[in-house]
Amino acid sequence: MHAQPEPLKPHPGEIATLLRGETETISAWSECWSSQRLALHIAVIVLGAGLYGAAMGWWRDPHQALYVAIKFPLIILLTTLGNALINGMLAPLLGLNIPFRQSFSAIVMSFTIAAAILGAFSPLIAFMVWNAPDLASKSLFGPAYNFILLTHVLVIALAGFTGNARLFQLLARLGGGKAVAFRVLCAWLAGNLFLGSQLSWILRPFIGSPSLPVEFLRQAAFHGNFFEAVFHSLRQIFNN
Amino acid sequence: MNEQNPVPPQIPPRIPPAATPSCAQQLGDDPAERAAITNVVAAIDSILRHPRRVMFQLRQPDAGKLIAMMLIVSVVCSLIYGVVVGTFSSGPQLWIAPAKIALGLMISALICLPSLYIFTCLSGSQARLVEVCGLLAGLLMLMTILLIGFAPVAWIFSQSTDSLAWMGTLHLIFWFIATIFGLRFLETGFSHSNARSHAGFHTWVVIFLLVAVQMTTALRPIIGTADTFLPKEKQFFVSHWGDCLKASADKSNPETRPNGR
Repeated sequence: MHAQPEPLKPHPGEIATLLRGETETISAWSECWSSQRLALHIAVIVLGAGLYGAAMGWWRDPHQALYVAIKFPLIILLTTLGNALINGMLAPLLGLNIPFRQSFSAIVMSFTIAAAILGAFSPLIAFMVWNAPDLASKSLFGPAYNFILLTHVLVIALAGFTGNARLFQLLARLGGGKAVAFRVLCAWLAGNLFLGSQLSWILRPFIGSPSLPVEFLRQAAFHGNFFEAVFHSLRQIFNN
Repeated sequence: MNEQNPVPPQIPPRIPPAATPSCAQQLGDDPAERAAITNVVAAIDSILRHPRRVMFQLRQPDAGKLIAMMLIVSVVCSLIYGVVVGTFSSGPQLWIAPAKIALGLMISALICLPSLYIFTCLSGSQARLVEVCGLLAGLLMLMTILLIGFAPVAWIFSQSTDSLAWMGTLHLIFWFIATIFGLRFLETGFSHSNARSHAGFHTWVVIFLLVAVQMTTALRPIIGTADTFLPKEKQFFVSHWGDCLKASADKSNPETRPNGR
């Protein structure tokens, strides 16, 4: 009789394993589906991204903080769900023959890493916002606004880059090659950026404008899309 | 007599065997490829994860069942994706778009099947007509399954934009990506049929793409709305796309959605 391997019980301490990128352990997690582990990762996403969102929205208004705390994790979860099917299909087609559940859990884990980093930065962002001049009384285009905006870009870029770097390591281990891992990662990244951009557009505002009321969604949330807006902005720039 | 030859015999150095590419192996070498595909789920799983299994099964005497199954899946998936396309305009487009997409896809395949078989034969391929039909059905199934994968993204965009040109472009991009994977499956199947050259196949790919995009114009409107089910005037797809882009650029007012959104 073969001894059954001891099941890997999920616990909050395993987030450190994710952050360290211990691919051997992480690939074992991805191979055996655990609802408890998925729940833990979703909890980290909700908490980490939620705290960061709260810190982001707090500059405008406490209500805005609450709204962004809900919207930020929502974007991550909806992007993961919305692209789950196509990501699961693209992996084997691009040479990484992993089951749907494994591709889904790999993506969730990469977002968990990103959310954990965002959550860790949220006190710093909150401190920065606390020290910043009141958004409602100052000019939108002042140095404080630009500095805070730039900080958000850097922190989110760091979180995204780290999450994807860990995902790449995991895919390389699962697929046995960097070329395959890179192909799959690029395809997933393209899809997630594409859908994530639009979801962010729908769920705007995040920082909020002092000239506009605090609201969960803009009146024209479902009017137009992110890429059209970029296109029109570019056209205006070149026409001027 | 016992003296040893100081010069070793000229034996060519042994080159370690390179990892055999999957297309160099004969179909059916792997026992897993010989397992029969008995249901729709197995067919979908096989075309995504083990396309060689589908190719092997298409060479078996009872391939007709598998082909029928793949065609049914293609029709169902294209109908589902069509509903998503129809949500942009909603109303009657919720049934018109799926009908046109499924119909357009099947007619395109039917129109292109004879030329595919001719090009296959001209390339020296040993594939039978049934196998060619099966590979084409596999292309359609893989394409439409991938479109289903794109459906949630397409739906989110169709609910949040008013631009017909934008949605048309988006659906064309999704269709194009899905078609690339479908054609890759077809080419892999083609390469297993002892074809001497792929030139004929590549020519057919161009023909198939042209037919498919022209079909979108012939069956227009698929995304937008019209008074009649089919267009009143005939148009080439390039000029139709040009008209759509021009009309979209002219409309500075974004309130152009038929349902007022």
